[in-house]
Amino acid sequence: MINYHNFIERSITGALSFLKESVFADQYAAKKGFLQSLDPRIKTITFMVFIVLIIFTKDIRVLFFMYALCLLLGSISKINLWFFLRRSWIFIPLFSIFIAIPALFNIVTPGETLVALKIFGIKLTITRQGFFGASLFVARVVTSVSFAVLLTLTTKHFELLKVLRIFKIPQIFVMTLGMCYRYIFLFVEIVSSTYLAVKSRVGSRIHYRTGQHLAAWNIAALWQRSYRLNEDVYNAMLSRGYRGESFALNDFRTKTKDWLWVCLVVIISAGVSYFNYG
Amino acid sequence: MDNIIFELSDVHFSYLGKFPALCGVNMNIRQGEKITLIGANGCGKSTLLSILDGLIFPDKGSVKFLGKEFKETDFTDENFSKNFRKKVGLVFQNPEVQLFCPTVKEDIVFGPLALGTEIAEIQRRLEEIIDLLEIKDLLNRTPHQLSIGEKRKVTIASTLIIHPDILILDEPTDGLDPLTTRHIIDLLLQLNEAGKTIIMATHDLHIVQEMSDFVYVFSNNKTIIKFGRPDVILKDMALLLENNLAHIHSHRHKDKVHTHPHLHSGHLTD
Repeated sequence: MINYHNFIERSITGALSFLKESVFADQYAAKKGFLQSLDPRIKTITFMVFIVLIIFTKDIRVLFFMYALCLLLGSISKINLWFFLRRSWIFIPLFSIFIAIPALFNIVTPGETLVALKIFGIKLTITRQGFFGASLFVARVVTSVSFAVLLTLTTKHFELLKVLRIFKIPQIFVMTLGMCYRYIFLFVEIVSSTYLAVKSRVGSRIHYRTGQHLAAWNIAALWQRSYRLNEDVYNAMLSRGYRGESFALNDFRTKTKDWLWVCLVVIISAGVSYFNYG
Repeated sequence: MDNIIFELSDVHFSYLGKFPALCGVNMNIRQGEKITLIGANGCGKSTLLSILDGLIFPDKGSVKFLGKEFKETDFTDENFSKNFRKKVGLVFQNPEVQLFCPTVKEDIVFGPLALGTEIAEIQRRLEEIIDLLEIKDLLNRTPHQLSIGEKRKVTIASTLIIHPDILILDEPTDGLDPLTTRHIIDLLLQLNEAGKTIIMATHDLHIVQEMSDFVYVFSNNKTIIKFGRPDVILKDMALLLENNLAHIHSHRHKDKVHTHPHLHSGHLTD
């Protein structure tokens, strides 16, 4: 049973549940849905096109259409709608709402009064221009974040990394990302086992000072282990011929379906651009 | 003295210059041989394997590979380094160290890609190796999702795909169930019959008899105390007891307590 008053236990449990959720999310990428069946390179490029289109869209109706398209793509890719909404909306306040709120008011965006408010004796008005500007901004963020989340949910993480390598993103960056993903699981497991070992000896009710000492000791031990592992992994790389440059095996194959998808994306992009600027 | 691949003379090595790991090791390894290094924990077996793989270099003494002494500076020469890495492959004791890529497939092809093998040839070898080790279903999985036996097979695959003439293995059967151990031993015997030199460190005396032409016994003094044919070494109970490779085991037969040396190798208990 988890002791929710214990900060250390809560953090470790949180990290483990993140781990489980990541593995669970990888199961979506393994499903036989529409987006999962596309070539990851084509899928990444077309989603980038969608995101660029969204950034330059001035009409909120177009953004609603794009968001609906995103949800439709999610559903034909066998993504659980509730899971998808939870995953995408968790980032929305982070990226947009806190930035958009000040823009609602006449102090930042002057214009025609929509609603007048009095907060702590200060008279504030929400302007029509501010409201539409903020709505447009939030809608853009919602739609582009949703596309980005959909891309990561329907593509296995190693395929995404490989796409980055194929697109000539510096290999040191991609390799570091790959290794972080690879070893974060190992370290979380080590931390969890260490904590269980400590708990089995001292029990779950410990003085907070002892808890702090244990956490500090755990961090130091983990740092030492990671340092040692770093040396060993480098030796393992050298042993197999690594000389400062690594290569990816490009074994992606495009199919007719991928090109049909590209055609559809071109048509949608042309329609959206016409609606925006036509 | 023909066909000597590795010739070690008075090799000394210490970590950080103050923790001795090898103290005067002498050894000759010939092409096509099966060599086993046995000894207690921390006696220097893994250090010696790292020296043979050119990952660390002796403080004193010399290591010759194919008749030529090699030093750390030789590995700055790309041609020498590539040729050496193509000829010598090391399977590490800890699979977590060796499996550093996001997927099994990328881990397996890492070596040949780094060594500049043609893509078509890599694909051919990959097909061959996944059939040999029966790991086709693992290819797109991430290493942390594998069992220890699966990890061990993948580490062997990632080394074998380089097609090394000399295969060095650090405790390849450690922590494995009997069936997987058997599978790995059969595979190594098959590779040896195909001409590969097998150098292996192990504690598992079950496998020493069939996996060795010669056995080297390490003492706690970080040096080789004895070497010879496996039947001779495994019969030397005093040597094995002295070097923590066997223990005195007592058990009850009806109402009598019976005591004898025990080394987890059926034919040697009495």
